[in-house]
Amino acid sequence: MPPTDLPEAAQRRLSESAFSSALNVSDFAACVEMGLQPVGLVQGFCAMQQGMYAMGGGFSRALSPYGGSQGGYVQNYQCPHGMISNEHRMWGQNYQQTWVENAWMEGFTSSYSRMLEEAGEVGAHGVVGVVDTVTRLTDAQVVEFHIYGTAVKVLGTPAPTTPPWSTFLAGQRLSKVFEAGFAPISIVASIASIRVWAYCMTEYLMGGAGMMWANSSGPQEIDQVVTALSQARFIARSNARAQLGSDSLRGANLQLAEREYEKGDLEIQAVLRGNRVRRFKEFDPLAVPQATVRLS
Amino acid sequence: MSLETPKTSLDVKAEILRAVASLAQKPPATGTSTSDLSIDEELNLHSIGWEPVELVSGLSVFSAPAGMWNWGQGEIVAASEAHQRAFNNAITRLNNEAAKAGGHGVVGVHVERQVYSTHIEISLLGTAVRPVGAKPVEALHVFVSDLSARDFTLLMVAGWQPLGLATGASFVYAPRRSVGTVLQQQSQNVELKNYTEAMYSARETAMERMQRDALALKGDGVVEVKLFEGPMSFASHAVGFAVWGTVVRLAKESHHSVHPTAVVSLNDVDVAFDSAVLA
Repeated sequence: MPPTDLPEAAQRRLSESAFSSALNVSDFAACVEMGLQPVGLVQGFCAMQQGMYAMGGGFSRALSPYGGSQGGYVQNYQCPHGMISNEHRMWGQNYQQTWVENAWMEGFTSSYSRMLEEAGEVGAHGVVGVVDTVTRLTDAQVVEFHIYGTAVKVLGTPAPTTPPWSTFLAGQRLSKVFEAGFAPISIVASIASIRVWAYCMTEYLMGGAGMMWANSSGPQEIDQVVTALSQARFIARSNARAQLGSDSLRGANLQLAEREYEKGDLEIQAVLRGNRVRRFKEFDPLAVPQATVRLS
Repeated sequence: MSLETPKTSLDVKAEILRAVASLAQKPPATGTSTSDLSIDEELNLHSIGWEPVELVSGLSVFSAPAGMWNWGQGEIVAASEAHQRAFNNAITRLNNEAAKAGGHGVVGVHVERQVYSTHIEISLLGTAVRPVGAKPVEALHVFVSDLSARDFTLLMVAGWQPLGLATGASFVYAPRRSVGTVLQQQSQNVELKNYTEAMYSARETAMERMQRDALALKGDGVVEVKLFEGPMSFASHAVGFAVWGTVVRLAKESHHSVHPTAVVSLNDVDVAFDSAVLA
């Protein structure tokens, strides 16, 4: 057995002959039916401190308004009024908080690769029914990433030579993925984090007081916020796409969170999860499904 | 009518072996796609020769004057206008994003709306779809629909096509009664006619606006209309109504009946495992 850095308890558990599995009975039965043999519950953890307030965080408005980008999306907004006053926000900025994204991705990928390491330990071809959670641990600034799933061997195939594949799906839904002509490759997660520093117009419009400043009587679109929200979705999708190679993302789930510190001062987060799958045969449509009415 | 057996009965075990063997090969250089449809929805799309292309979104945030919610009579015009324009801009952005990705339409659109005292936010998220391998079309011809891929399939099989989302909103001031009237009516069971009339007209106005959208899209009707109504948490005398639904048109000469077969399930009642709910 190759040396690993798994905890001793994990190695002991995985080396015993009995298997554990996170699948329920129906999914377990479906897996066996498909020729997938569960060999163990595998998991990975990573506790991270979020470096929100670290240097370069630009958390205080007193820091340089044009601090430049940290290698991501950045856009500046300039006051159209030509006013100079301590209370008038003459500048505004949207920027991508790449350091927040990097911390999140580091936590996710570390726990994911630890799970794969356990799966490799038991000689699995893949991991099915993956569940991933991100929870606050003990202290507001410490976040734990936990990923687990059930390692399976494909009966009738030689021992794996490549790292195990993984998928959030299990049971019948996994079987339908193969029927649709896709092979699972891996679970995928990506994040986008954007900070909005409102300039005067955004502040007034978000506060419902834009009309007198904008010289317009009707409702107005709040461009800075619309752009920031759109960018968050776009970046989350691009970051996920960057992990796909020539494969596709299926069963995607986009979770959005928004926090307003002051009028127009927002923090926006978008997390996209999904299954990376690869087409292994030509498109072959099913027959049009038969419509039924159930008599109960 | 006899029960037909499926066209092909796939040997899943053999498919899995084939899939696993393919992983050792060089991946094919096919185009990538993204989708938030379930696998069942994707198989439904496959059955009518459609495929998902890209996860797309469109959104808009409109400002509304802060003080407008409290005093006035009749419709709160600025709020209705902000809602309508935000919804329309979000739809246009979704259309453009889907067209850019090569989609012919967007299905399963999730609509999220937030009405605050100072701004209104509309956010749409769905999956762009197209007939397998079809060429891109102009944004003008891309439809947006909040029907699930399953309902979209059923609609297409029945000879109908979705044309777009129609929406309407109306915000009104709940009428205030004079002190005298309040005292007079305090101990009576009585219809508050001014209330009834105000609510009636606001609801009809919202529906009328939606219908106008549907006619502009040259639709025959609107399906899956959702109606949201209720008081504004931040204003004691304001009520809002919002409706939207998918505009459809009969694409073939006549409606094609799907002739459902009656079935009796022999399954035990049980709840399937869903790993997503554990997250």
